[in-house]
Amino acid sequence: MASSSGTLPVANPSGAQLSTTKTTVEFRAALVAMSVVALIPLGVGNAYWLGVLIVSMYFAILAGAWNLLAGYTGQFSLAPATFAMIGAYTTGLLNYYFGIPPLLGIVAAVVVSGLIGLLLGRAVLRLVGPYLALTTLSFAEIMRLVASNSIDITRGDLGLGVAGLLNSRIGWYYLFLGALVGLLILFYLLLRSKAGLFLQAIRDDEVAARRAGVNVVFWKTAAFAISAAASGFAGALYAHFAELATPELGLIGQTGLIVSMTVIGGMGTLAGPLVAAFLVYVLSEWLRDIGGYQLVVFAALVVIFARFFREGLWGLAKAAVQRWRRA
Amino acid sequence: MAGSLRLDMLGVALTVAAALLPVAGARAADPIKVGVTITQSPPGSVVQGTQVKDGLEVATKIINDAGGVDGSKIELVIEDTQGLPEKARAAVEKLITRDKVVAITGEHQSSAALAGIEVAHRYKIPYINTNGWSDAIREKGYPEVFNPGNYNSRVGGAAAATMKELGVKRVLSFAENTDYGIGLAKAIGESLKKIAPDIQYKYVTLDRASKDFLPAILPLRANPPDAIINLMLPPAAYIMMNQVYEQGVAPSAKTWLYDGSGLADYPDFWQNVKEAGKGMLVFGLYHPKMAQPPLGKQVGDAYTAKTKNEPNRLLFQAADSLFLIADAVKRAKSTDAEAIIKALGETKYTGTRGEIIFSKEKGYAFNQWLDVPYVTFQLTEVNQKVGDAVLVSQPGQPLDKAKLWAPAK
Amino acid sequence: MSGIDVDLAVNGLITGLFYALMAIGLSLIFGILKIVNFAHGEFYMVGAYAYTLTALALGVPVWVALPLAFVAGALLGWVTERTLMRPLYAGYTSWGLMRDEYAVIVTFGLSLFLINLVDKLIGPYAYRGPPLVETSRVVLGPVLISGHRLLAAGIAIAVIAFTAALIKWSFWGQQIRAVSQNRLGASLAGIDTAKASAIVFMLSGGLAAFAGALLSPVINASPDVGIFPAIKSYIIVVLGGMGSVPGAIVASLALGVIESFGAVYLSYQYRDGFGLVLLMLFLLFRPQGLFGEKGREV
Repeated sequence: MASSSGTLPVANPSGAQLSTTKTTVEFRAALVAMSVVALIPLGVGNAYWLGVLIVSMYFAILAGAWNLLAGYTGQFSLAPATFAMIGAYTTGLLNYYFGIPPLLGIVAAVVVSGLIGLLLGRAVLRLVGPYLALTTLSFAEIMRLVASNSIDITRGDLGLGVAGLLNSRIGWYYLFLGALVGLLILFYLLLRSKAGLFLQAIRDDEVAARRAGVNVVFWKTAAFAISAAASGFAGALYAHFAELATPELGLIGQTGLIVSMTVIGGMGTLAGPLVAAFLVYVLSEWLRDIGGYQLVVFAALVVIFARFFREGLWGLAKAAVQRWRRA
Repeated sequence: MAGSLRLDMLGVALTVAAALLPVAGARAADPIKVGVTITQSPPGSVVQGTQVKDGLEVATKIINDAGGVDGSKIELVIEDTQGLPEKARAAVEKLITRDKVVAITGEHQSSAALAGIEVAHRYKIPYINTNGWSDAIREKGYPEVFNPGNYNSRVGGAAAATMKELGVKRVLSFAENTDYGIGLAKAIGESLKKIAPDIQYKYVTLDRASKDFLPAILPLRANPPDAIINLMLPPAAYIMMNQVYEQGVAPSAKTWLYDGSGLADYPDFWQNVKEAGKGMLVFGLYHPKMAQPPLGKQVGDAYTAKTKNEPNRLLFQAADSLFLIADAVKRAKSTDAEAIIKALGETKYTGTRGEIIFSKEKGYAFNQWLDVPYVTFQLTEVNQKVGDAVLVSQPGQPLDKAKLWAPAK
Repeated sequence: MSGIDVDLAVNGLITGLFYALMAIGLSLIFGILKIVNFAHGEFYMVGAYAYTLTALALGVPVWVALPLAFVAGALLGWVTERTLMRPLYAGYTSWGLMRDEYAVIVTFGLSLFLINLVDKLIGPYAYRGPPLVETSRVVLGPVLISGHRLLAAGIAIAVIAFTAALIKWSFWGQQIRAVSQNRLGASLAGIDTAKASAIVFMLSGGLAAFAGALLSPVINASPDVGIFPAIKSYIIVVLGGMGSVPGAIVASLALGVIESFGAVYLSYQYRDGFGLVLLMLFLLFRPQGLFGEKGREV
């Protein structure tokens, strides 16, 4: 009952274009969405709303990274926000105590988060479902407790002041957008390659995949490491944007938001989580002034989508397009 | 089909227009917008946030009823920080960039204030720190930040003086694990070292999110200190007090309980602690029997009429914050940020608690009103109103030991 | 043993009793459905609110409010099972083989939904539940304890014992254990597996809610009050072995005592971390816990 990832890309000896797979369709849709986002500053100059969109991009990266791990590889980690927090503190601490410039700090953050993700992924190799979720949840909580209680080092709940990187909001906008698109391309290439097939095979039936010769250990750990590194990258960028690193970044509520965005957008689709991240976050900021019921609605949507629409908004959009085509 | 297409386009046009409306902004009667960052939902202290909000609203009404500032009404724009530094930072950003406020005020939690002043400093917008006690806020030396409220070193000095006058030898502080609690604990330690070096002092940090402090309290039963100082805020403070009382540690014949956080002011104080509060000594920034300028009485009465509650110190600190902004705008004859900041620096204004002047000394005194008045009083009966509590020291005077009450056991 | 150790032990055991109330239900759910209910903390929260609000706002006497809280939790448990869990074993979701993942997502979402719903409908403020008795200090040998806590501990012991007996000897208890061991076999033997699942969820919800109610005078009712106890429950259920009620009880008491001593002798700040570290260690090296069936591994 493996859910298909579309037809296998057939290499054409004459180098002609490969057949369009589901992943490619999603990638193109995602690029279109990103182009729209790129054009928004031409119409909206207000620093506040640009800021909201920047934070949406932060979440879009985290949702995409979690999607890679959970949607494509089937490992439901409850620690995405934790890796963002680790990334933020890595660059923040290096900057605060050793004066390391932000660019180097961000690179360090990627490396450190990736390494920790690698170790964690290795440790939880044989756990599935609730066991994996619980282990990553404990890890997340322990890390947050450490960040929050090591007041002498991290200044705890007070937050760590972090140096800024750019001075203009527009600059940050395009930096984040660049990072988002860059990661999108990276994930696309990964998923379109053999690796993508392996990951999805692992998600659908790990035992069968191993029997078919897939190096399960390597790919599961790799997915964890890549996802963690990407999350750490987002966290580090955010730390320099907000000029603050706090344990709040690693709260379970943040993970809840990330999970919501991915589920609502459509797990295991490339475009779904990205678009949903924007929708969810912008709506949540906009609705907050009106009533503040947005979190209730989103959580309800998560339950409803999980129960009835596994493919999320993307799946609904696809179904609508197909019905329109047939009409 | 064409009809629905036109309808679609109309719909899109309307949506776009509606989306751009906030950008168009308000140009009409030009009220003076003052940004307020307070806690309106947990984990921060919602009770404090509400008291600050009430104080600001009372002050706004008083100013606007008198015609506003040179004809312009004050309008408060309120953002919820939840007591979290990251949210506070975002709130101040929002107020400055989206709402274009002339000044920011209202902050009542130090960690949130520390994050907020960074943003205010970046945009060079005046920031009136209503109740952030942390010395670190002042030590940054930002010219935009003004502090008419209480400060840690004030409490430190007061607590140390009280401990010395009580004649105790061993003192323990329970501090919450925030900059506020730890900063205060350290400030008390510094003051004690200076004026009473023979007093043994230590402090224990407790997690404000925790629900059980017995492990920290049980070891005290064998060898209780002479005084326990509370440096925590509700709800954790209530849990701690109840457990300290339940274990027979304080208030008791052997151990004084001294509150450095203004707990007695909270409307839900007695409902939560009952007997555990009887005998507590309180560092009070407000007591009904204190001498107050007429503006203070006016604000207090307006507050009681509006909320049916007795006034508390946050009310006055908040009201003063707003009055100072209005006064500065009036003197500067402009809502330009730089002009307001300059005018604030030259403040000589009698608010609800006394005449406010900002010191220019570097360090914890920078842009701080140094002579914040305080008293020490003791709660002697359960459900006792602050006004009925026994005033054991007046501003500037030492402790009147004859007035103290201690339980039999 | 010095005086303080007795204190620590007694307090640890009492805390453990309340943990047990929470954890038994979770353990049963795992036994019968092989899933972890991530919304378990919210059953606790619902119970705390039901007790506190009916007593404070409606003036209901505390001895009526207490069972009312149980009913509220049981009701929520039943609705959850009926709408969200049935598909798990009836096989009509689009999740195919990923049943565990479905359960994680759906209960996680439910948890978020309930927390935010309560936050919006009732408000984020904490409400202190009325204690069962007003005595604030009772002397019990060398130990001092509040009257309410003592009474609550006694009630907890009674309820736990009753539940354990129910599972072991009653008709439905046997049905539940049969379904936990082998669902297919049990249904072939004529047992109504759906009903067994429903009963387990109701019991689990009711017990957790009861715990929330009992503790509300100390741990005041607020929207996120359930997160803490839930994490403790996960720890206990893994330690004691998922599906084992005696295991859950023993692990609860053990955790309470470990945390109590650890907080004083090791580190006060990280006392909540001990359980988490234990959880991770067990999950990594001995997922079946101390008493349970072999954990699902690949």
